[in-house]
This record gives sequence, structure tokens and C-alpha cells, in this order.
Amino acid sequence: MVTNERIRLAVIAIISMLVIATGTLFAYNSFMQGKIAGAVLGTIIAIIIVIFAVFVFKRGNEDLKKGFPLKDERSRKVLEKASSKAFYVSLYLLIAIGLLSDKLIKFRDISQATSVAVGGMAILFAVFWAYYNKREL
Amino acid sequence: MKTRIKEFRARYDLTQEDLARKVGVRRETIVFLEKGKYNPSLQLAHDVAKALKAKIDEVFVF
Repeated sequence: MVTNERIRLAVIAIISMLVIATGTLFAYNSFMQGKIAGAVLGTIIAIIIVIFAVFVFKRGNEDLKKGFPLKDERSRKVLEKASSKAFYVSLYLLIAIGLLSDKLIKFRDISQATSVAVGGMAILFAVFWAYYNKREL
Repeated sequence: MKTRIKEFRARYDLTQEDLARKVGVRRETIVFLEKGKYNPSLQLAHDVAKALKAKIDEVFVF
């Protein structure tokens, strides 16, 4: 049981490192192409993920040492509620991006619009997770 | 849902961490249960009651 939890924590760490590497590469690539805004954005995203990953990993490791599971009934319920609500609200976000993409927001290409949509979904999920983690369930 | 978890914990001199370990959940889950801010599944309610050597309806006030 504890071994499975350790594997799960290791997978979280690996995925976090991959995301951080992607953010760093994106920032570097943008910087080399002279796109300072993209470079700054990539760096900020990478820093936020580093802070979040260190917090999650440290806390998870401490919990495992104390004999607590990484996930339990309540944390799974919080995750389910947050993900379903984030998905539901992100449909409106996608509609908004679609409607505003020509009038207010000028995206460079489809990949930039997709990145904004995915980033928005990630932020929505984080907000809903924080909300449901404090709320009565 | 109101609970008497704190009262039972005190009776057996158990900390929230001890109870969480016994039941196999995170400490926050016990905190939320005690505050009455989480409605547990029947399985979890059973496990908590068993760990506190009581019946479910003694621990959880419906």
C-alpha cells in the first residue's frame, strides 16, 4: 500500500518536472525568437508549477512518513467535484474565447488559442479545487 | 451532520492523527468530520465508529 503511494508520488514528481521542462523550453524558445511576453509568461508558469510541485511533493512525503494516505474518500470527492465543475464552466470559457477571438483577442494561431483555453481550464480547476477543499461536502 | 467524534476521541485519549491512521484517511478528513462539514460514506462512518468502539448512531447524530 505504502509502495503504491510512493509510486504515485514519484509519478506526480515526474509529471511536474516534465511540465516545468516544457514551460522552460517554451520560455527559452520565445526568448530566442524575441517574443518577450511569451518568455515572461513561460517563466512565470514554470515558477508557479515549481512552487506548487515542491509544496505537493513535500507535503505528500511528510504524510507518507506519518502513515497517512495521499488520497482518501474526501480528497477524491473534492477532486471529482472540482473537475466536473471546472469542465462545465470551461465550456463557457471556450465559447467566450471563440466569440471574442476575432473582436477583442487577437491570437497568433490556433495553438496559442488552444494554450489559452487549456491554461484557463487549469486555472479553473485549481480555483474549484481550493473552493471545494474548504467547503462542506 | 453533527458528530461526537471529539468526545469519543477524548474518551480513548486519541489524537486526530491517531484516529486518521486507524481509519486510513488523511487528518483533514477527521477535522472536517468533527466540524460536521463532511458527510462520510457508510463505509467510512462504520470504520470511524469501529475505531472509536461505538455504534454509528452513537458517533454520528442524524
